[in-house]
Amino acid sequence: MKRTVPLILAFISGIVMVIAFFCREGSLAENLSQEFLIWSSIIGGFSLLLGCASIVRVQWKHVSQQKSGWGFSVVTLAAVLISGLPGVFAVSWSPLFGRGTGSIYDWIFVYISTPMSGTMFGILAFYIASAAYRAFRARSAEATLLLITASLVMLWRIPMGEAFLGTISSHLVDFVNTYIMLGINLAVQRGIIIGAALGAASMSLRILLGIERTYMGRG
Amino acid sequence: MNIWQRMSSIDRHYVYLLVAATVIFPLIVPAHFPIGISPEARQLYEAVDSLPEGSVVLLTFDMYANNLAETEPIARAALYHLFRKNLKVVTVTTIPFGGPSIAERITRELAAKYHKTYGVDYVNLGYKPNYVSVLKGMGSSIESIYPTDNSSTPLAQLPLMQTVKNYADMKFIYVVADNGIVDYWISIVQAQYGIRVGCGVTSVMAPKLYAYVGSGQMTGLLGGMKGAAEYELLVGKEGLAVTGMGIQSLVHLLIIALIFIGNLGFFMEKRRAARAKS
Amino acid sequence: MSGMELFQIWIMAFFTLAIFSFLYKDNPIYRFAEHLYAGVSVGYYIGLYWDTVIVQQLWVPLTQSKVPEYWLAVPGIMGVLMFSRLSSKYSWMARIGLAFIMGNTAGVFLLSQLHGNVIGQMQGTMSPQMANGSPNAALTAIVVLGVIATLIYFYFSKEHTGALGVTAKVGIWFIMISFGAHFGYTVMGRISLLIGRVYFLYTDWIGSFSQIF
Repeated sequence: MKRTVPLILAFISGIVMVIAFFCREGSLAENLSQEFLIWSSIIGGFSLLLGCASIVRVQWKHVSQQKSGWGFSVVTLAAVLISGLPGVFAVSWSPLFGRGTGSIYDWIFVYISTPMSGTMFGILAFYIASAAYRAFRARSAEATLLLITASLVMLWRIPMGEAFLGTISSHLVDFVNTYIMLGINLAVQRGIIIGAALGAASMSLRILLGIERTYMGRG
Repeated sequence: MNIWQRMSSIDRHYVYLLVAATVIFPLIVPAHFPIGISPEARQLYEAVDSLPEGSVVLLTFDMYANNLAETEPIARAALYHLFRKNLKVVTVTTIPFGGPSIAERITRELAAKYHKTYGVDYVNLGYKPNYVSVLKGMGSSIESIYPTDNSSTPLAQLPLMQTVKNYADMKFIYVVADNGIVDYWISIVQAQYGIRVGCGVTSVMAPKLYAYVGSGQMTGLLGGMKGAAEYELLVGKEGLAVTGMGIQSLVHLLIIALIFIGNLGFFMEKRRAARAKS
Repeated sequence: MSGMELFQIWIMAFFTLAIFSFLYKDNPIYRFAEHLYAGVSVGYYIGLYWDTVIVQQLWVPLTQSKVPEYWLAVPGIMGVLMFSRLSSKYSWMARIGLAFIMGNTAGVFLLSQLHGNVIGQMQGTMSPQMANGSPNAALTAIVVLGVIATLIYFYFSKEHTGALGVTAKVGIWFIMISFGAHFGYTVMGRISLLIGRVYFLYTDWIGSFSQIF
C-alpha cells in the first residue's frame, strides 16, 4: 500500500496529461489536466519549503551540538529569521513587511544577497583563467582541435578579435558564425538534444508505468 | 627549474592578479572597438520590431542574481524596445530565488522612465512553483495558474489581463534566461502552441540554442554580454554591455595568451626531456 | 548621494570584497558572508512560498473566493504530508505528493520532449540549412553528417567497429569542435560576471569616496 498508492497516483496524474494533449480545449480531460497542473504547483511549493526546513534543522543541530564552526550556523539561522519573517508578515501591518520594493525582505535581497551571488560567480573568472593556463594542454589531436576552436571563438566574440579576424579575411567572421556555430556546433548540439529528449521520454514512460521507482526512496 | 618549466607553472595568485589588472585597466583607460551585429541578434530585433503596436509580449525573467551582469543588460534593452514600440508587456519568472524581485525592480524603474502604467501597459505576474505547471498551464488559462499578480492584486482588477487569457492572446515570448528553462519554453510552449519565442541567454547557454535557431523553433538569439551589446546597439540604448565589451576583449586576449604560454612551456619542456633522454 | 545610498553601496562593497577574499585563502570574513548568504537565501524562499503558494494559491481561493475552491484542500494536504519526510517513521507519507508531481511532470515531458525536441529537431535536420538567406548545400551536408555522427558516437549498445566505428570517430571530431566553441563561450560568460562586479566596485564604490573624503 505504501508504494502501490503512490504508483497509482503517479499513473493517473500522468496519463491525464497525456490524454489531454490530444483533446480539444474545454474537454473533460483538458479541464482535469489544468486542475492537476495547479495541484502540482501547490505541492511543488511545499516540497521547496521542506528543503528550507531541512536546512534550518541541520544548522540547528550544529548549534545545539556545538559542532566545529557552530557560530557560523548561528549567523545562518539569524539570517533566515531576519530575511524570512518580514516577507511572511502582512504588508498591511507595515510597508516594511511583505515582498514589495522598499520592504526589508526586498532590501536584504538587493543589497546583501545580490552582490554576494554575483561575486560568487564572478570569482569563477579567475579560476577559469587559472585552469585554462594550467590544464588546457594540446596532448592529443582532439584536444588540439578543441583548443584551436576555443581560441577562435574567444577571438570571434570580442570586437577587437572581430577586427583582427577581418584583417586576415573578410569572410572569416561569417565563416565562424555560419560553419562552426550554425554548422558543426549546431549539429552536435542537435544530436545531444535528440538523444537527451529520447532519454527523457523513455524515463517519463518508465515513471508513468511504475517501472522507475527510485524517487520514492527506500521502505 | 628551467625557463620552460617556469613558463608552465606560474603561481595561480599571479594569474589572478593579471586577470584583475586586465579587468581594471580598460575601466581607467577605456577603449572602443566597433561591435558587429550577428544575424541571430538582428533576427530577434526585427521580429520584435515588426510587431504591431498594442501587441502583447510575454517577457520572462528566468534568471538568478548570480548572472545579472549578462542577463540584466539583455532584459533592460528588451524592455526598452518593447516600451518604445508601445507593446504591452506581461512578465513571469520560473526562478524562485530572485526572479520576482529582479522583474519588479527592472520593470518598475523602466516603466517610470517611459511613463508606462502598471496594469494597463505592463503586468508582473511573478513566480509560481513547478515550471512545468506554469508553462503548460498558461496555455489554457493564465488566471488559473496566477490568480493574482506578484503584488497579490487579483488579475480581474488589471485591465491588461482582461484581454490576455492565455498564449493565444500573445504575439511573442521574449525569454531572458540563465538556465535550461529555455528548452521547455521551446518543447512545451512553442511546439504545442506555435507562438514565436526569442531568447536572450547567458554565454554558457548560447551554443546549445543554435540548434533551435537553425530548426526555426527559436526566433533570434542573444548570447551573453556580446549579445546584450548587439541588442543595445540595435535599440540605440548603449549600457553596461557595450562598455563591458572593451574589458572583455582584453581579458580574452590574456586568456588566449596564457593558454599559448602554458602550451609552449609544456611542449618545449617535453622536447628538452626527450632530447636529454636520447 | 544620500546617506542611505552611501550606506547601501558600502554594504554591497563589503560583501563583494568578503567573497573576493576567498581568492587569497579561506578566512572568517568569507565564511561569515557565505553562511549569511545561505541564511538569506532560505529566508527569501520562505517569504516567497508563504506568499505565492500558501496565501495566494491556497488560503485566498479556499476562504475568500466567491465560490470557495474546497477541492484545493487535497493538494494542500498532500503538500503538508511532504513534511513527514523529516520523520524517519512517517516519511513514506511524503511519497503521495511526490508521486503526484513526478507523474504529472512525466506525463507532460513524455509528449513535449518527443513533439518539441525529437520531431522538431529532426524536421530541422531534414530541411535545407540557410546561410545569408539562401539554402547552402555544404552547410546542410555538415549538419546531417554531424547529427548522425554525434548520435552514433553516443550509442553504446554496440561496439564501435567497422562503419559504426568510423562514423563515431567522425562524431568525436565534430564534438571536439563544438565543445571548443562551448568552452570559448563559457570563458566569455565567467568574465562577464567578473566585469559586472568590478564595474560596480570601480564606478559606485570607489566613486563614493569623493562623497565621503
